[in-house]
Amino acid sequence: MIPPVDGDRWRETIAQRLADGARFAGAWAVGTGPQAAWRVALLAPGRPAEVLSCPAREGRVPTIVDLVPAADWDEREAHDLHAIDFDGHEPMRALVAHPRDPAAWSTPVAGEGVHEVAVGPIHAGVIESGHFRLHVVGERILALDTRLFYKHRGLEHAAEGGDPACGLAHVGRACAACAVANSVAYAHAVERALGLWPDRDLRLARTLLLELERLYNHLHDIGALCAGVGYAPGAMAFAALKDRAQCVNERLAGHRFLFRTIAVGAGALAVDRAAVDSARGELRELRADAAATWRELEFAGSLQARLGAIGVLNYHAALQLGACGPAARAAGVPTDARGHSPRLWYDGDFRPAAPRESTGDVAARLQLRAAELETTCDLLDELLTHPLAPGTAAPAHEPRPLGLGLVESPRGATLAAVELAADRIARLRLRPGSYATWPAVAHAAAGNLLPDFPLINKSFELCYACVDR
Amino acid sequence: MYVLLRQLAQLRRDAGLTRPSPPRSLALRHVDAGSCNGCEHELGLVISPRYDLQRYGLDIVASPRHADILLVTGPVTTRMAGALRIAYEAMPEPRLVAALGDCALGRGILGDPAELAGPLDDLLPVDIRIPGCPPSPRAIAEHLLAALEP
Repeated sequence: MIPPVDGDRWRETIAQRLADGARFAGAWAVGTGPQAAWRVALLAPGRPAEVLSCPAREGRVPTIVDLVPAADWDEREAHDLHAIDFDGHEPMRALVAHPRDPAAWSTPVAGEGVHEVAVGPIHAGVIESGHFRLHVVGERILALDTRLFYKHRGLEHAAEGGDPACGLAHVGRACAACAVANSVAYAHAVERALGLWPDRDLRLARTLLLELERLYNHLHDIGALCAGVGYAPGAMAFAALKDRAQCVNERLAGHRFLFRTIAVGAGALAVDRAAVDSARGELRELRADAAATWRELEFAGSLQARLGAIGVLNYHAALQLGACGPAARAAGVPTDARGHSPRLWYDGDFRPAAPRESTGDVAARLQLRAAELETTCDLLDELLTHPLAPGTAAPAHEPRPLGLGLVESPRGATLAAVELAADRIARLRLRPGSYATWPAVAHAAAGNLLPDFPLINKSFELCYACVDR
Repeated sequence: MYVLLRQLAQLRRDAGLTRPSPPRSLALRHVDAGSCNGCEHELGLVISPRYDLQRYGLDIVASPRHADILLVTGPVTTRMAGALRIAYEAMPEPRLVAALGDCALGRGILGDPAELAGPLDDLLPVDIRIPGCPPSPRAIAEHLLAALEP
């Protein structure tokens, strides 16, 4: 079992780990109320991931949110779903729960001319459901409260008690756009718990699928950002490119969103020589067309004029809030889980993409995605030089009751934690890159003009489905 | 921008898009009632250059007040059931409801039953059924075009 840390020593233990260079990676509760335990996963460079556990004595655990602001959402979620009280977490605002009284979940903002603009859960376009409460004076945003979890389906809870394959079905359905990243993170977690290690074929196939997912997502996100400023030619051109990437997915792997291509303990994808050759050729053409279209965007004055110094997330805030993925990299934080993924095929010296300038604004996030398309296309070109066999994962070490998987999704580092008991899922926690980065959206929106909010939100382009689960 | 517009015109020619038949029109309002975002991605492409639903007189509108069809995705979570009903009630008659994707059709639902209020059939009268997980842009376009037939 995971050795428990007593509540009296909890904060001091976490503070010590942070001082030693560890980084908060996610937290989850097991059980409810007085029977609950609170787990925190920490990552440190060059060391294996560590999970610390604190029993919730009388349903209470000391908060660490002042030491680790990134743990804010995790503690609020555990408060709502597992009835744990976090001593010192004040005010404890609802996150997953949807109380009627706005005071129970939103920031109190008062003063002359302050008013609220409420948006959602249903939006004016084809967008996922979620509610934004913007506190504004005139056109200026003072603060933003995001209220998500309208799409909470209880997927983790539904998977618990089932076998690992049943868990994969739930994780795979959490979000279509991150289906591969979520599934691979989950498969890694289960395989780690079962003592399995993937062979070369399995590492290759999963890496290919992750990069195919990144390709169509980044194309989509660039187009969505163009739509965010009403620049229709860019939005339409990138939508067409994204559709082409998804057609390649379908021909290569049988599904436009790469569903059912990941299994636990084995591969689920075999591709012959003709199919890899044809996909490689199509992706080379797609890459050239995407590069040409991107150049058009760089010279589109009406688009570029909207991007600079808007929605700034600086280096310090990105680190503090625990943002990850393109949003963090655009702020100059060189974080990318692909750099330390021995269970995948990435080189040991994988270097995260960096923007031209780490300004952390909408422009930097857009430009970073374009730079990452280049890396992804390089990787895909290399991965598609040989036919792919499904591969397998073979016993390599003793089984453990807990496994973690960390995978770089198109939106950042996605953590899956799986606790097994008698080969059944005792607890499943999926903490996608979007979950880690959502608090940064509110931070980046404050101080900007209200009409820029859709653009700022699009520049992060985080998932709701992933987060709501 | 002119280069981009020229590329898009070329794309339309390459895709061999046909001219629309007689002028008819339907306005669609989309509500995500707990989907995995797959149906939203594909619905977004239906109005992109390769499929271009607008040329048939179908378009996605910003308000249920302007809509003829309510397009619903997802298994309908308890937290979206209220907003979905309000959107439906805001629509003028005659109105149609389309279930977009397997979740909205109540097929292969995953999740905790306590968090789900669906399937859609139990909440609203469903007129159009578009199966698939998710249905491809072409499939969505074909089902919606069928609704234009008298």
